[in-house]
Amino acid sequence: MDLNALIGQAVVNGLIVGLLYLLMAVGFTLVFGVMRVVNFAHGEFYMLGAFVVYYCVTQLNLPFLFSVVITFVLAVAFGWIVEWLILKPFRHDELNGMIATIGLAMILQNLALMAFGPSPLSMPSVVQGVVHLGSMVIPSSRFYVVAFSIGVLLLLYVFLRYTRIGRALRAVVQDIEIASVQGIRASLFYPFGFGIGVGLAAVAGALMAPLFSVSPFIGAGPLLKAFIVVILGGLGSIPGAVLASLLLGMTESLGSTFLSSGTADILIFAFLIIMLVVRPGGLLARPEQ
Amino acid sequence: MKRKIGIVLVLLAAISVVASISVVALPQEQETLKIGALVTLSGSGAAWGQGMLHAAELATDDVNANGGLDVGGKKYRVQVIPYDDKYQANEGVTVANRLVFEDRVKYIIGSVGSAVLLAIQPTTEKNKVILMTLAFTSKALGADKLFTFRPVVTTGEISQPQIDWVVKTRNIKRVGFLFPNDETGQSISSDNSAAYRKAGATPAAMESFERDRVDFVSLLTRILAAQVDAIELGGNSPTTAGLILKQARELGFSGTIIHTGGPATQEIVNVAGKQAAEGLLEHTPINPALASVKAYIERYVAKYKQPMNGFSPAFYDGTRMMFDAMRKAGSVTDSDKVRLELEKIKTFSGVLGEESWTGKARYGIDHQLNVPFYVAEVKDGQEVIRAQCTVAGCK
Repeated sequence: MDLNALIGQAVVNGLIVGLLYLLMAVGFTLVFGVMRVVNFAHGEFYMLGAFVVYYCVTQLNLPFLFSVVITFVLAVAFGWIVEWLILKPFRHDELNGMIATIGLAMILQNLALMAFGPSPLSMPSVVQGVVHLGSMVIPSSRFYVVAFSIGVLLLLYVFLRYTRIGRALRAVVQDIEIASVQGIRASLFYPFGFGIGVGLAAVAGALMAPLFSVSPFIGAGPLLKAFIVVILGGLGSIPGAVLASLLLGMTESLGSTFLSSGTADILIFAFLIIMLVVRPGGLLARPEQ
Repeated sequence: MKRKIGIVLVLLAAISVVASISVVALPQEQETLKIGALVTLSGSGAAWGQGMLHAAELATDDVNANGGLDVGGKKYRVQVIPYDDKYQANEGVTVANRLVFEDRVKYIIGSVGSAVLLAIQPTTEKNKVILMTLAFTSKALGADKLFTFRPVVTTGEISQPQIDWVVKTRNIKRVGFLFPNDETGQSISSDNSAAYRKAGATPAAMESFERDRVDFVSLLTRILAAQVDAIELGGNSPTTAGLILKQARELGFSGTIIHTGGPATQEIVNVAGKQAAEGLLEHTPINPALASVKAYIERYVAKYKQPMNGFSPAFYDGTRMMFDAMRKAGSVTDSDKVRLELEKIKTFSGVLGEESWTGKARYGIDHQLNVPFYVAEVKDGQEVIRAQCTVAGCK
C-alpha cells in the first residue's frame, strides 16, 4: 500500500470513527445543555440500547432498522420516567445531579449484569462484505452505521431547527427563565430533554451492537469518548461536538496508523489538557452568562 | 425499676437456655473445607474464568457426592468460594486479601491473568496458599514460588511446536502481531515472535493496545501496510481475538490468521461469525474424540448449559490432584505437607490423559503440568484437529 493510499485509508477510517463518536456524544451534550446535568449514566443507556436491539433481532426476529426505532422509543420513555422519578430533585443542582447519575450508572450496569450475565454476546452483522472507494476499503457494516448516524443527526437537526418542540427545547437550552416567561413549560422539557438525550445514546448503542460485542460492560468506553468530545467541543454545543468528534476520530486514526496506539492516546489526552487550560469552554463554547 | 430489670434478666436467661438446647440438639455440623476461586467472571476473559470455576465446582461435586473429602479420618464438605478479579491486578489483590485473611482459604483456583497472578503471589506465597493458575507468563513459576502450580500448557510449551508446523505447512514469510499491552499480551507475543524467527519467518509488524479496546481498524490498516501474509492473535482474550479477526476480514485480509494462545474457538466463532472464522488455526488443549474428554464436556454442558472452554478439563484434573494430595498428606490445613504430596505425584490419570509434572529446565521447578496438545483448523465453526503435538514437536 503506497503512502497516499495509506493516508487516504487512515483519513476514511478517521471520519468513520469520528461519526461513531459524534453519535455517542450528541445525546450527552444535549442533556447537559437542557438540564445542566453531567449524565454519568450515558454509557449505560448506550449499553441498554445495544441489549434491546440484540433481543429484538435475535430473539424476536424483527428487522434491524425497526428494532433501532423501537430502541429509541423505549429509551426516550425510560429516560423520561427516570428523570421524573430520580433526577427531579437535582434539577438546579449540578453537583448532586452528577453524583445521582453516577449512582444510576452503577444500578443500571449491575441490573444488566444480573439479568444478562457477564459473557459478551454477539449479534449477526447487518451486512457483510466491503465497499471499495478507489484503493480504500470500508467494511460495509461500518458504512451502514455511518449512513444511519448521518440520518439520525440530520433528523435531530431538522427537529431542533424546524419543529415547534425542537425550537422550544433550544430555547430552554439557551435560557430557561426567558423560555418559561414565553410560556414554555420547563417542567415538561426537563424529562423530555433527558429522554431525547438518552434515546440518542441508546440508538448509538443499537447501531454499534452488530459491530462490537454486547455485554453489560460496553458502556464505559463510549462514556469516556463522549466526555472527551464534549469537553473539546464545549458542553451544550452541538456544532462543537461535531467538530470535536471528527477531530478526535482523525487524530486517533492517523496516530494509530502512523505512530502507535499508545502514542495516539497520549496525543489525544495532551490535546485535551491543553484545551482545558487555554480554552476551557471548548472549541465552540457557548458564551457563559 | 427492679421489676423491669428482673423481667429482662429472666428473658435473657430463657433465651440462653433455649440457645444452648438448640446447639446441643442439632446434629454436629460437618466441617467445611473452603477453596477459593479467584477468576475473571466479567469482561473479555470471562470464558476462561468460568471454565476454571466450573471445573473446580465439578470436582467439588464429585467429592461431596461421596459424603465429603476424606482426609485424616475426617470428612470435609468442600465449598468453592468464587470472586471476580475483572482481569485487573488491583482487583485481584483486593480479592486475594479477602480470600486469604477473611475467608482463610489455603487453596485457590486462579488467577486467569498474568498481571493478576504476579500481583497476588507475594500474598499467597507468604501465607502458604496453594495456587492452581492459568497465567501464561514464565514468571508465574519459579524455585522461590513453592506454592504455585500450573495445570495448563502455555505458549512457553506450545509456541515453538505449533509455529514450526504452521510456518512449514502454510509457507509463511511475514507475520503481523496484535496484542494487549499488559503482562499476558507482552509475554505471549514475545514467546511467539521468537518462535516465528526460529521457524524462519519474519515478524514484520507488532502492534499493542489497551486491553479494553474494541476498534482495531486503524491498527490493522497499519499491519496490512507491512505486507504480512499471516496475523498472529496470541495473547488476546477470546472476545478480542474474535473482534480483531472480524475486522481484519472486513478490511479484506485474506491471509492466514493464527491464534497461538489460550483456547478460544467457540467465542471467536460467536463474535466473528462462521464465515470470517473459516480457516483460523487455533491451539487446542483437548481432543474431543477422547472418551474421557467427551464425557467431561457432556457433563459440563448438561450442568451449566454453556459451551465448555478448552481450559476447563485441566483445572478439573488440577483440583482433583489437590484433593489427592490432601488425602495423602492427611491434612487440609498444613499446606506445606499438601504441596509436597502434590509435587510427589508421578503420573495422574486425568481427563486429558496421563499427566505429570515438568518444567525444571525452563522455570527452575517442576510445577508445570505436561499434557499432549493439538493444532486445529476451524471449519464451519468447528475445530478440526490437524496435528498432534508434544513439547518436542507436531505432526
